Amino acid sequence: MHVLVIEDDREHAEFIEKVLSEAGHSVETVEDGVGGLSRAREDAFDAMVVDRMLPEKPGLQLVEEFRNAGGTTPALFLSALSDVDNRVEGLKVGADDYLAKPFAPEELVARVEALGRRQISGEPPVTVLKVGDLEMDLLARKVTREETKIDLQPREFKLLEYLMRHAGQTVTRTMLLEKVWNYHFDPQTNVIDVHISRLRAKIDKEFDHQLLQTVRGAGYCLQA
Amino acid sequence: MISGPFAFVRTTTFRLALVYSIIFALFSAGLLAYLFQATVGTMRAEAKARLESEFRTLANAWEQGGPTRLEQSLLERVLVDLRDFTYQFEDRNGRIIVGDMPRMPVQPDDGFGTVRIVTFEIERPGPEGGATITPIEGRLVRLGDGSVLLVGIKMDERIRQVNRITRVVATSAPIGFLLALLGGFFSARYAASRAESMTKTAEGVMSGDLSLRAPVRGSGDEFDRLAEQLNAMLAKLETLMAATRHAGDSIAHDLRSPLSRLRNQLEVRLRGPMDELSARETLGETVEEVDRVLATFNAILRLSRVNAGAEGKLIDLDLSEICEEMAELFDPACEDAGIAFSYQVDQGLEMQGDRSLLAQAISNLLDNAVKYTPTGKSISFKALSEGDHIVVEVQDTGPGIPDDDLNRVKERFVRLDDARTQPGSGLGLALVDAVAELHKGSFALARSDGESGLKASLILPAK
Repeated sequence: MHVLVIEDDREHAEFIEKVLSEAGHSVETVEDGVGGLSRAREDAFDAMVVDRMLPEKPGLQLVEEFRNAGGTTPALFLSALSDVDNRVEGLKVGADDYLAKPFAPEELVARVEALGRRQISGEPPVTVLKVGDLEMDLLARKVTREETKIDLQPREFKLLEYLMRHAGQTVTRTMLLEKVWNYHFDPQTNVIDVHISRLRAKIDKEFDHQLLQTVRGAGYCLQA
Repeated sequence: MISGPFAFVRTTTFRLALVYSIIFALFSAGLLAYLFQATVGTMRAEAKARLESEFRTLANAWEQGGPTRLEQSLLERVLVDLRDFTYQFEDRNGRIIVGDMPRMPVQPDDGFGTVRIVTFEIERPGPEGGATITPIEGRLVRLGDGSVLLVGIKMDERIRQVNRITRVVATSAPIGFLLALLGGFFSARYAASRAESMTKTAEGVMSGDLSLRAPVRGSGDEFDRLAEQLNAMLAKLETLMAATRHAGDSIAHDLRSPLSRLRNQLEVRLRGPMDELSARETLGETVEEVDRVLATFNAILRLSRVNAGAEGKLIDLDLSEICEEMAELFDPACEDAGIAFSYQVDQGLEMQGDRSLLAQAISNLLDNAVKYTPTGKSISFKALSEGDHIVVEVQDTGPGIPDDDLNRVKERFVRLDDARTQPGSGLGLALVDAVAELHKGSFALARSDGESGLKASLILPAK
């Protein structure tokens, strides 16, 4: 992925650049809001990471102007302000995700990659998701693997759907609590892990090939 | 700034008082003028009526008995002392037949029977050498035989009354004006002093003393209400300032120890021999420690915001839904840990709240229960509607908390010795407490109903 990073703190920008490059993405960094906006307009980036507090043009305004001008590049806000209200503010002006500082590098990579995948729009809505031999029929709400029907609880279905939509990407526990349960706080205990292991027992246990992987120190990844 | 003893002159109230005084003065002047006109007019009319009646009586006497009868009647009348009327009856040659006056004061006409209205004055020597002038209104007529009759009514008493009224009007108007002005003066000074005391309070607060309050006099007037509102606002501000200061102090205090610990560890490692392996290990530990510090920092920040009421815009929500989702979230974790998890959630627990904060508070309670309940024991989770309240209750069968510590554990950073082995920031229950307060509810810890364990109750107002 080609990622535009707009961040004025040089050390922080270097850290983001390093983290994303190591995950195999090409990164371009701009240090102020005005320059960031013009770069975002000039080139077709796959995703942009925008700090909320920027010199010359604050991040909120940058994304808002970019969206108003028809820009579609998915954007992720980085901010030291982590309130729900701040998050809502960010999403309202047209950002696609919001990550509070400080963050774990894996969390940033996972979220940026999730953004890149969202880009595919204009295609007809998918009704069947496939990862390897695992199939999910979104209309019939049926999951099968190698012709075997798998019974899932509604929440497990949602969880698997999210993982399948982001197949091949690492998703973190916080992302899962946010996207699948719609709660914004750090789960303290292993509640998410337990749900994952339940799901794993249903989709992987009877089969040779394990689809749902644990990514140590980061989260989970569903991969064919 | 207006100050000094005449500050009130520039107040709105004083200006209003002045305007009102002027309006009052004009109004009373008009009223008095009307009264004057009405009184004097009535008196004149009454005098005229009496004069007419007297004149007619005498005319009757003339018609019935001629000059002899008239003379008779006049003589009877003249003998009466202190009479209002004065008479003069002369024959055709101007000789006085009956009369009060030395001569006819007005020259009569020559024509017979025409009654003339006349006014004149008579002058008499007063008791102390001066002269009293008596104004008279009269009726004059030349009778059939050429004699002349004049009947007059003395107007002096009436004029004295008119003068008295005029004097009263002339003196009372300025007194009324002065009184209105004085009233304005005092009410303006009262208002100015009340406003001034509030201004002083505001100045004091601005110069940094948040404990100052505007005086409330207990009269319940609008100034008292304003002062009460101002004081309520100041109290809230003071609480917020204290919370902010407390949060700042907590952050400084509570982050200092882990940071110094981290620094010392690094220093010790730095002095010892180092190869790549030990360096990696040290750095790994450092990152973990810093993560913990950051997590604590975030927790403090969030807690402070909840405490200050800054976070959390309350909206209508269904707590049943949140509780069910939390139960569903924790159920598998309990099962894995070999804990029997039972839950009972009433339907339709409507309330005003912050979804994320309520979920986090309940999650903190369940989290604690899972942490401290040993395998083979049980946790019960209930969310019940009780009258106008919702009671969210988490009971575990763990070791519980000694009675003495039950309240202490809700404070920030309080961790009992047994808990040191478990991960946690020591802010979990403090956050639950703050969330309860934000929702105008309460949070209580008690001994579990069963043989051992802890019962945590979050009581929230229902909608």
